[in-house]
Amino acid sequence: MYKGASYKIWSVLMVSPFIIFFLLFWALPLVLGIWISFHNWNVSAGNLGFVGLDNYKMILTSGTIYNDLFMTGLKNTLYFVVISVPPLVLIALGLALIIDNLPDKFKTIYRTIFFISYSISVTAVSAIFLWLFNNNGGFINNVLMSLGMKEAVNWLGEQPYAWLTILIATVWWTIGFNMMLFINALNEVDSSLYEAADLDGAGAWGKFWYVTFPQIKNVGFFIVIMTVIASFNLYGQTRLITNGGPEQSTNSLIMNIQTSVFGMNQLGIGSAMALLMGIIMTVILGLQYWLSYRKTD
Amino acid sequence: MKMKRSTRKAIPLLILATIIAILFLLPLIWMVFTSFKTLSESMASSSILPQVWTLENYTGIFTSVSEAPIFRWLFNTTVITAVGTIIVVVVDILAAYSLARLNVPGKKVILGMIFAALAIPGIVTLFPAFYMFKEVGLLDSYIPLIMPYTASTMGVFLVYNFLLAFPKDLEEAAYLDGASQWQILYHVIFPAIKPVAMTLAVITFLAIYNDYLWPSLVTNSNEMKTITLGIATLIQGSNFVNPAKMMASTVIATIPAIVIFLLANKHIVKSVTNTGIK
Amino acid sequence: MKTISKWLALVVTVFLVLAGCSGGGDSADSGKGENGKVQISFINGFTGGDGAYMKKITDAFNASQDKYEVVELQEKDHYTKFKSGEYDLVVIHGNNLETYKQDGLIQDMSSVLEKAGIAETDFHQAGIDTVKLDDTMYAVPLDIHPLTMFYNKEFVQEAPKTYEDLVKINDELQAQSKDLYALGVPSSGLVEFYMLMIAAQNGIDLEKDGYLNFAQPEYAEALMQFHDMVWKDKVSPAGLGLDGEFQTFMKEAQEGKAYQTAVALTGPWFYGGAKEKYGDNLGVAPIPQIGSQLAAYGNSHTIALPANVKDEEKLAGIAEYLKFMYTPENLINWADGGQAPVHLPTLEKVTAEQEKYQIAYQNSQQFDDYVSAPQVYQFGEQIRYMNESVFSKVVTTEKLTTDALMKELEKATEMAKQIAATAPQQ
Repeated sequence: MYKGASYKIWSVLMVSPFIIFFLLFWALPLVLGIWISFHNWNVSAGNLGFVGLDNYKMILTSGTIYNDLFMTGLKNTLYFVVISVPPLVLIALGLALIIDNLPDKFKTIYRTIFFISYSISVTAVSAIFLWLFNNNGGFINNVLMSLGMKEAVNWLGEQPYAWLTILIATVWWTIGFNMMLFINALNEVDSSLYEAADLDGAGAWGKFWYVTFPQIKNVGFFIVIMTVIASFNLYGQTRLITNGGPEQSTNSLIMNIQTSVFGMNQLGIGSAMALLMGIIMTVILGLQYWLSYRKTD
Repeated sequence: MKMKRSTRKAIPLLILATIIAILFLLPLIWMVFTSFKTLSESMASSSILPQVWTLENYTGIFTSVSEAPIFRWLFNTTVITAVGTIIVVVVDILAAYSLARLNVPGKKVILGMIFAALAIPGIVTLFPAFYMFKEVGLLDSYIPLIMPYTASTMGVFLVYNFLLAFPKDLEEAAYLDGASQWQILYHVIFPAIKPVAMTLAVITFLAIYNDYLWPSLVTNSNEMKTITLGIATLIQGSNFVNPAKMMASTVIATIPAIVIFLLANKHIVKSVTNTGIK
Repeated sequence: MKTISKWLALVVTVFLVLAGCSGGGDSADSGKGENGKVQISFINGFTGGDGAYMKKITDAFNASQDKYEVVELQEKDHYTKFKSGEYDLVVIHGNNLETYKQDGLIQDMSSVLEKAGIAETDFHQAGIDTVKLDDTMYAVPLDIHPLTMFYNKEFVQEAPKTYEDLVKINDELQAQSKDLYALGVPSSGLVEFYMLMIAAQNGIDLEKDGYLNFAQPEYAEALMQFHDMVWKDKVSPAGLGLDGEFQTFMKEAQEGKAYQTAVALTGPWFYGGAKEKYGDNLGVAPIPQIGSQLAAYGNSHTIALPANVKDEEKLAGIAEYLKFMYTPENLINWADGGQAPVHLPTLEKVTAEQEKYQIAYQNSQQFDDYVSAPQVYQFGEQIRYMNESVFSKVVTTEKLTTDALMKELEKATEMAKQIAATAPQQ
């Protein structure tokens, strides 16, 4: 079946809306971005001419303002990836295990509660955490001081607290999604394997390590990749909760690219930075794939 | 007896789950109660419940509509998410069907592009896309708020994978019965891919609803903002150093999303689990 | 099959309708409006509370006219839009004027002003100083919004005039409660105003060859005063964050849990919120002398003429609009919105009713001591590192030395130099 001229026409007609949108809103901007990155392009003055790889050179030469922007942004973003991915994956797994072991009638309600904050937008999350963690008279500080803490913690204005606040907000906001994926993976685990492990006299840890873990490894890997991508794209939380502070330590790479385009007017430089960021992310993801496949083989 | 034993065993776990659940709900509960506090109480208070209840923060929102048109923002978000989601679902299903079943010419090239696009992060196209819309004078309209999402290849990828795993028998039977192309699509394919279409719809909805950076680039006027972006301007604006009023706005912005979420809970759960590539 | 095509048709229709009714108001093309009037597009960033007052002036002008029509666009980030579109009139902040002049986006305004019958002598010198670049009027000054002092009359009977007054207030308050302070020094937010105010009050000129030269030993000394306010004299609580100067002013002290301040050195745009809370107990006054001499600093709004406007009819309309706006009866609306106009005849009216125009009046009292921002290319970018990093170090590092601060100031200066070098070659 599905042969002949009429099918060919149908197939082309059906795929073409997507192709058109894809070319128009993805491929064209990509090509345009690469092209702009080779030009001295000022947002006010427009295209000031072809400069070859100069924009890239400037970004990668230490001592220039662009190098400073790119490197601090990259450093801050990588730092966030490192501190955020383990809790986002492990806590999600922990919550999923709790729910998996609850009696059936309680499962739905707890699952819904742990997942509900995912329906809130990043800006609303920021509004809430901004005031919850206000250092002078904020709710969290007040509660901690009622519990006997001596001095108010400067959550938003001092490190490592500022990162901690961003991390808590991010965990609260997005952990539900990872948890759902784990719950699903746990549901797929063959229950006869547990019974067999019971007969062998395995403890809870033994059961997890020898039965559960191998079964959910692939989903876990998928979750790690998704979380790395999401953490790399850090923007809203740091823009709104700390606004890059204290002392530019939470300026993420995307925030700094935005500064170079709309603050400094350097669209050429900004495009080059975005492409470099894309290359770095693709390399990191590629490495992750490679590592995981090497292990499973 | 057995049931009882297992419930008893679960009690420590239930207590743990309850403590975590309270921690999870705390920010939301705090948000709701703070929105009923007076200005001075909301600025510094360690009790969750207001000592003096006030509706002022909510009435204040209605009087400052010109500065913060929250209902207009909610309307914009409704339009953008609805239209965007419908377009993406329809377009992606058609494309995936054509790729998986109809041997469209250039199939390999198209699939290659889709995979490549999946690996390249969105930031790369963000500023050039902004520049394109600027050049054609479409900034500050619904078009840039909707159309760029249609280029996402995730949907085609999901549906394509689903169709590959889906047996062709039914389609062949319908074909032998002399069903037309549209009839096969409508009576056989659509019912079959409903779950994955639902997944795609939820993912797309969340992506559009949650986006903050892109709408902040392509909108200027207050009237064209999405609710997500609107809340951000309230945080950054000078007229909202009032946490109680800020929370009242956040409640209005958030409640619709939570209600939709609870109503669609079952579907969302299914769809999230569907994305878990096994 | 029918249902599918119906769905598709629906989507397409909805989409076309939306595309049609979206945006709007963007028509900056030089033609005439539907009513045959010459249209003048006026773009500004008045999206806060002040927007309504400017609209009042514009609406009144349009009602009085049958030849011209001003289409006012109030948008946040209006600079981004201005850079990429064509408009006939634009509001630019005083400290950005040099940038837009060098980018060639605005033009000499003197002939339009002449036509409108507006003379330099109509304005306070502080306003003229901000708009005159290379002896040419590149804009017409609208207002100045300097760093403003709010005080809470419950704690402070008389507005402090010197740093010693602040210390005295602080001692009295601290005797009452450990949670009461004289004022708050924020670590981010309005810190640009703080840093340039202290430069002005110590007579330090930051500009050198088109860039901001922060690396001056006297400037390091001057900045250390903010450090000492927090760590030595302790007139401000430590660790206040973004907008901390205003937030602490608005709090109510709670034993050991929340600080409250009696005075706020802050932006006049917070007036509405403060008035709402304190009513008649809110005092407004010029800022006290903290450095070695009295000086005020702040920013200003000016109205500039985009470089692309050449059409004679339009220029005549713009002159007509400005002539209308710059009459006391009309511009008083701007004072009503809380802004202090630099137009002298309007100021007279403000002074006559100083109770009604409390904030505008008090801020106009700072004009004589006003020092405007150095006119350099990309001022905001040149000072970014100072804003986001250095000032915060000054007020949060207890053991900061002047030497360590100098190193930071050198780094900030190096960055400012590089930004200055991106200016278009002339």
